[in-house]
Amino acid sequence: MKTKIKGIYIPSKAEIVEILDMTPVIKLFKIKPKRQFRYKPGQFVMVSLWGVGEVPISITSTHGLHEYIELCIRRVGHVTSATNLLKPSAKIGIRGPFGNTFPMKNARGKDVLFVAGGLGIVPLRPLITSIINEKNNFKRIALIYGSCNPTEILFKDDINIWQKKGMHITLTVERKDKGWKGNIGLVTEYLKRPKLSFRNAYAFICGPPIMIKATSNGLSLIGMHEDNIFTTLEAHMKCGVGKCGHCYVDGKYICTDGPIFSYAEIKKHSLFD
Amino acid sequence: MRNSLVLDKNYLSYWLRQIRQKMSLIAPIRVGNLGVVLKTVENIHEIELNCPASIPSAKEFLFPQKEDMFRLSEGTVDILRNDTKRLIFGVRSCDISAIALLDRFFGENFVDDYYMSRRVNTIFISIVCNNPEPTCFCLGLGTGPFLKSNFDIQLTDIGDRYIVETYSKKGSDLIKDYYYLFSKPKKSDYETQYEILLSSQASFEKRINLENARQKILIERISDPFWDWIGRRCFECGGCVYECPLCTCFNVLDRVKSEGSGTRFRIWDACMFKGFTKIAGNIWPAEKKGTRIKQWYFHKLLYYPDHFGKFGCVGCGRCTITCPGHIDMATIVYKIDIGDKRRR
Amino acid sequence: MDKIPTVCPYCGCGCGLYLCVENDNIIGVSPVRNHPVNNSSLCVKGWNCFEFIQHPDRLRYPLIKEGGSFRQASWDEALKLIAARFSRIKESSGSDSIGIVSSAKCTNEENYLMMKFARAVIGTNNIDHCARLCHSSTVGGLAAAFGSGAMTNSINEIAYARLLFVIGSNTTEQHPMIGMHMLDAVDKGAILIVADPRRTQIAEFAHTHLRHRPGTDVALLNSIMNVMIREGLVDIPFVKRRTENFDSFKDTVMKYPPEVAERITGVSAEDIKKVARVYATEKRSMLFYSMGITQHITGVDNVCACANLAMLTAHIGLPMTGLNPLRGQNNVQGACDMGALPDLYSGYQKVADPKLRKKFEMAWRVKLPSTPGLTLIEMFDSALKNDIQAMYIMGENPVISNPDASHAWDALKSLDFLVVQDTFLSDTAELADIVLPAATFAEKDGTFTNTERRVQKIKAAIKPFGESKPDWEIICALSREMVYDLNYRATHEIMEEIALLTPIYRGILHHRLDNNYGLQWPCPDVTHPGTPFLHRMKFAKGLGTFMPVTFVPPAEIPDKKFPFILTTGRTYFHYHTGTMCRRTSTLEREYPECLMEINPRDADSLRIKNMDKVRVSSKRGTIIVSAYVTERTPEGIVFIPFHFKEAAVNLLTNPALDPSAKIPEYKVCAVNIEPVK
Repeated sequence: MKTKIKGIYIPSKAEIVEILDMTPVIKLFKIKPKRQFRYKPGQFVMVSLWGVGEVPISITSTHGLHEYIELCIRRVGHVTSATNLLKPSAKIGIRGPFGNTFPMKNARGKDVLFVAGGLGIVPLRPLITSIINEKNNFKRIALIYGSCNPTEILFKDDINIWQKKGMHITLTVERKDKGWKGNIGLVTEYLKRPKLSFRNAYAFICGPPIMIKATSNGLSLIGMHEDNIFTTLEAHMKCGVGKCGHCYVDGKYICTDGPIFSYAEIKKHSLFD
Repeated sequence: MRNSLVLDKNYLSYWLRQIRQKMSLIAPIRVGNLGVVLKTVENIHEIELNCPASIPSAKEFLFPQKEDMFRLSEGTVDILRNDTKRLIFGVRSCDISAIALLDRFFGENFVDDYYMSRRVNTIFISIVCNNPEPTCFCLGLGTGPFLKSNFDIQLTDIGDRYIVETYSKKGSDLIKDYYYLFSKPKKSDYETQYEILLSSQASFEKRINLENARQKILIERISDPFWDWIGRRCFECGGCVYECPLCTCFNVLDRVKSEGSGTRFRIWDACMFKGFTKIAGNIWPAEKKGTRIKQWYFHKLLYYPDHFGKFGCVGCGRCTITCPGHIDMATIVYKIDIGDKRRR
Repeated sequence: MDKIPTVCPYCGCGCGLYLCVENDNIIGVSPVRNHPVNNSSLCVKGWNCFEFIQHPDRLRYPLIKEGGSFRQASWDEALKLIAARFSRIKESSGSDSIGIVSSAKCTNEENYLMMKFARAVIGTNNIDHCARLCHSSTVGGLAAAFGSGAMTNSINEIAYARLLFVIGSNTTEQHPMIGMHMLDAVDKGAILIVADPRRTQIAEFAHTHLRHRPGTDVALLNSIMNVMIREGLVDIPFVKRRTENFDSFKDTVMKYPPEVAERITGVSAEDIKKVARVYATEKRSMLFYSMGITQHITGVDNVCACANLAMLTAHIGLPMTGLNPLRGQNNVQGACDMGALPDLYSGYQKVADPKLRKKFEMAWRVKLPSTPGLTLIEMFDSALKNDIQAMYIMGENPVISNPDASHAWDALKSLDFLVVQDTFLSDTAELADIVLPAATFAEKDGTFTNTERRVQKIKAAIKPFGESKPDWEIICALSREMVYDLNYRATHEIMEEIALLTPIYRGILHHRLDNNYGLQWPCPDVTHPGTPFLHRMKFAKGLGTFMPVTFVPPAEIPDKKFPFILTTGRTYFHYHTGTMCRRTSTLEREYPECLMEINPRDADSLRIKNMDKVRVSSKRGTIIVSAYVTERTPEGIVFIPFHFKEAAVNLLTNPALDPSAKIPEYKVCAVNIEPVK
């Protein structure tokens, strides 16, 4: 399948319209690309900071809702430390969108469970928004979202909206603070909370690798099909188009064959290393 | 072989000289006592026709070790593509087979413009290996010493003449332009060619069976201590990856000249380095050399055939020649095949 | 696309490679097939040696410091200024108030010109280079023992040796291509003995690994020789026919039986006996050594002990034998050969010898100074005392590479006038009054001499970057501004002069070196094919001399306040002070920060975990590095490489010098370690 993107290695300009501080190390960037493009939930862009480098960042907004795209970036390494210092109206480069997308259509008519750990809510957000927007095509929808502590719960406003629209929400934290009255513990302890018919349900998981492993395992133990559990994997990427080899693991390019894989595929190719 | 022609050796330099008026000519040239390399030809008579099969591959002409991608200055991007027309003469069947696979790799999904613009402007005249090197093992892989398809022009040296075969349109067009140099082969020419090809096939020293190794890996899942033992000898030089005509991994970097200007370039990289998979936050997933070596061999023996239907190896033997620790495809496959997990 | 044959600019292996050039850009590297040193391979530095050449940090034009910062200047202005200042200082304070540091990275021609500049133009013998810091013990020790201080055999013999004794050399990491030949020998059944306190990569392949305490090499080697003498394993005919001073040497060695050595070195008497027996009885035994032997206050003694060992067993003067010091820089052998030394002209001809001095005076048509000059560290000491007022430093970074680096910094700051000539703005160049931009190895012609005395030609692949010039052109241009015009139009002319004045290089001319594997000196005439191994019929000075040496402990040993031994060295991915390799993406990525190797038990006792930040301090300074916990380093010792200017380990090292070679003791000093919160 040849793509129509011309000049796959050439970043196009994008302007930062607004920056929101979500936590001390996580910022939400609202970016207006010079050239609008269509994207689907789960896809990512390669964000280019001239002279510093490029990193793959999942798109957390939903196509069609705004004229800007939203990227949620945590300061972790060399490039993301530089993005952390950017101010609105700064110019960056964008390449993409790359990657495959969540198999939303297959989940129609079934229960859908989202499990997010920490920053894992970021790539799941556009999928949740899309599914809630056509929620009549699905049966019960639920989210289990675990964070380190209450200050690190992201997109609180969105969560309220989703709850109002009928999504079953379970929030949990590893360490509580003074005001927290909710659940404590890891997401794996709350998998059975939403009363879904697991045998036929679909699950979309994202979070740190340990969490993905434990959750996928936990879900398959309570009856979910391994072909119906999906996650999105992270990797070091330099091109995003399946050529540079940095994200190549066990025969799969995370950037073009993924980043979304089913648990069955992950087990077959031991993509967890 | 159907539609073959014959070229008298005396006309070869004339033909190449004519071609050089239209495009850049690259061929094996001897550099004093140092050896033979592929480079732009200044004097046609310096072309070395009897060079070893294993001189550095033509990969660097299509995918250079360092390639500037674009220049940035004051917000405008200047894409740096190379579209010089070139003829590369004197490569071997293994090189051509490798290039056919590189075409598929760089052309699938997202098309790599840099590779493609060099590729479409390059035409190859390959020469059949009458005398394979001791390190060659293309025979068992179907990538040599001669090809039946997927080449531009293939020459077989039958003494005072070449048998000239074409496959691609590019190749046949080039012959058509100089039709007056070629003649029809005689029956004895075909016979000589057949004999030469048979004797070439018979003179391979290494008979390596990659398929057996692949089966063994799939069934037995060769254990980690084997790879760790191999890893002790690895010098982490990257030579196997750099020399392999099928390895294509690269790193992308910016050379900043000043604020908002400079060049973005790509440079050969190797999964043999532990920094290749380094993730932000000082995480090094592939610390052990054995793990990395295992991944390289699995890529070539398992994943490549799964995806492309062919092994990720053309039997050129360059990894054998360049590895300081003597870890190479032939040795590894042999060890896996005979189930050797003993110390060397 | 063109392929230019040249030689790698990193280490003393001198691997042959081609630089690939397309449209005036160097775009790749390819090894020379069947080269006697690297044999179609390259190490990771060689494969990536082209990336720093066209790096934007390259110095483009001369810089003059005004008001504390640099401004761009023209060559004319800069050179005239330098000439004027040097002339003035020479007139008012004498020629010896100027010190010159030549470069082991520059070509033979450039080193020759630099020493000619120092002696004929400035009029001083104060010229030295970094060999002082790494192999001056070799030059001194082997000159005393054999009359010639270089690797006696060749690299392509190694694979056919039957025994390899490697002491104080981390060969597979520092000289990877030589390490490759050693592993080939082991594959063919050779015995490998490694003596190194750390479990280096080559030690993993050794049949016997002697982990002696740092600085105890004399005791170890004397003890090995003690066993040989006692068990009758000495080659008596050889000793009688070709050596002298055996009796005095024997008296000293008999004081080191294995039991005594065991107490001093920590190596078991059994192992000492084993090594002695096998080294003596194997016919083709080669001895290798590197910084672990030379960089001590007993550096010369260590080298003499190695020479004694080779002579005692007659493992010298034959192929597949010999005493083989592995030189560090790509042209440090050449820089020594060219006489960039305070007491020697090219070819190791003594400055103090009136007949030899007269030969150079006649050739150069100028009166030459007769007193040997100051060595490198002495120049810095003199600078602090204001005896040296100006320095001209070419291709060297003493602020990072000198021991007790803050002393070097102070010395350079105290100078009236400092000129630095380099390819990048190094830390030393930052202190200069005038910086001259030099061309890299890919932008000039010339020759390098590798560790096995092989003189090979390098060729320019591209034009010099910006306004930079090859060092030889700069030195000539500068001399033109001063009284004495060096006046050469091309590097082959310089080589012709070198050949005429230097007996060991007599037959080495550029046209003999074009497009081949080079020639190994001694090469006494233009038809001579070069000399693969030395001392065949007799030693360079006739009879070899046994030099009796006694064990002297290192200058600074651990005490309560500084309880650990710090040993410094290099790593595989980086090279020396990092000006080239840290501007290479692959190398920098593989080893991005300074790591201190520490033994797990030591780490536990200090409550340090892997990758924790620690503060390491010595009497002279303190740095912060990350700890790397590994069994490679024994208890009580830590290892820090010196490549990282942000954690410059030479701020800690001890400038204690070997009394005759003046080489600093980089390998042993005492430090304290504490975790950083």
